[in-house]
Amino acid sequence: MKSIALGQYYPAQSILHRTDPRMKIILTVLYIVCSFLSKNILSFGLLLLSSLLLVAAGRIPLKIVLRGLRPVLIVLAFTAILNIFWTKGDHLLFGWQFVQIYAEGLYAAVFMMIRITTLIIGTSMLLTYTTTPIALTDALEDLLSPLKKLHVPVHEFAMMMTIALRFIPLLVEETDKIMTAQKARGVDFSTGSLMDRAKALIPVLIPLFVSAFNRAGDLATAMECRCYHGGEGRTRMHVLKLRGADFIPFILVVALGGALVALNLAGIGYTMK
Amino acid sequence: MSEIQLENLSYFHGKDTPYQIQALKNIHLTIPGGKITGLIGHTGSGKSTLVQMLNGLLRPDEGRVLLNGEDIWEKPKNIRSVRFRVGLVMQYPEYQLFEETVAKDIAFGPKNMGLGEEEIRDRVAEAARFAGLESELLEKSPFDLSGGQKRRAAIAGIIAMRPEILVLDEPAAGLDPRGRESIFENIVQYHRESNSTVVIVSHSMEDMARYCDHLVVMNEGEVLMQGDPNTVFSCADRLEEIGLDIPQITKTMLLLKSRGVETEGSIYTVEQALDAMLKLLKN
Repeated sequence: MKSIALGQYYPAQSILHRTDPRMKIILTVLYIVCSFLSKNILSFGLLLLSSLLLVAAGRIPLKIVLRGLRPVLIVLAFTAILNIFWTKGDHLLFGWQFVQIYAEGLYAAVFMMIRITTLIIGTSMLLTYTTTPIALTDALEDLLSPLKKLHVPVHEFAMMMTIALRFIPLLVEETDKIMTAQKARGVDFSTGSLMDRAKALIPVLIPLFVSAFNRAGDLATAMECRCYHGGEGRTRMHVLKLRGADFIPFILVVALGGALVALNLAGIGYTMK
Repeated sequence: MSEIQLENLSYFHGKDTPYQIQALKNIHLTIPGGKITGLIGHTGSGKSTLVQMLNGLLRPDEGRVLLNGEDIWEKPKNIRSVRFRVGLVMQYPEYQLFEETVAKDIAFGPKNMGLGEEEIRDRVAEAARFAGLESELLEKSPFDLSGGQKRRAAIAGIIAMRPEILVLDEPAAGLDPRGRESIFENIVQYHRESNSTVVIVSHSMEDMARYCDHLVVMNEGEVLMQGDPNTVFSCADRLEEIGLDIPQITKTMLLLKSRGVETEGSIYTVEQALDAMLKLLKN
């Protein structure tokens, strides 16, 4: 239970780690757009190259990044198969009864796989691996602050997210403890029918809820004792400040988008519609 | 009277990960039957890990746990029956209460054993008495009890399984002095009446000195000393070396000794000190 990875933050010293988290959120959106701009073999090649450069810039071992791709392998395989068999084109490579494979299908399959892979590498390199969850909530609060004009309680949402993140490890530890205690009283979590196993969770869930509510109550009291009254007029310990250096990755990503569009015009090989 | 032996026992936290820590190092230990054994050690000395070995909640990476000479991991499928024979009261056990009434919560363990209703009712009443719970509390919700009463209800929940060996991990942690004393007194009385083997984990030397027949001192995952309180407290300097407090009265007697007042044997309770002083005065 304790081995649950919380977020995937990977501590290291890198340009990406130092970049302002708000900028990273914007960059992530831009990078996603970029991955959809690619249309032919040249632009997809550049896209793949850019994601590898991101991994290098974040100084995260490639092995760890590739391990992060493992959960989407099924999605990748599924998309590839769909594209191979269902894309129609002019160049028939293989035909047998209703199975027809076109060269365009193979291209489309490879392109889609590159697109999904770079999407995941891009977002994880720009956000999850290089930004702590707390920095991420701070950045979100800041980016969403214009919504305050529309009376959206942005600060409160961000505070809720921060507290939730803070409580996850505590709750995991507590679940562990309660499960051990009930095991000592003879509860069997691992055998029996599905119904039995669901029932075995009741002695864990009830104490867990009770203590979570108690903790929430205590936390609220502790916050009020320190005069917490919401976001109005509240200053921060870590003030986010955009530096000149933060605009360099921004320019690079915009340039990447431009290059991708230009390469699409080259008209080499198969071009996706 | 059941006894437990640990042979060559080693255990690693986070085995085969980069964060691997050896929590228990090659432990050889006998927990004698029919006695109260005290397990003493600092936070992080491995005592809580060790007690989870005794009833099979954790499986040793090396070595064996013998309950009356039989390896409890001989048939891993039967490990549940070991948990009924070696009852473990975890640290701060009040967090495990969940039923609608105290009586139902105490009955939870016996129910998991598959006992009949009448048998369960007898056991609940008996366990509540042993744990010092008034019978009018039995029909209340466990969440309406005071902290000390909750602790007692949780202890009763284990006693109701009539374990051959009762293991309590810091049973008095966080209670006021009067609560501590009365919980320990209940445990000693239970031990006397049921004639069972009891293991108490604590870092309070005073309590251990008063209530235990046999002491095991742990340090950094190893057994540093074991024996009766006399033997263990005669090595007071070694205990202080590893940062464990020796009982106040033992400290006082050692101080007297260094000033030339010789008393016989090692002294670790106020009553013993009184006897020794009276003897000295008579001479």
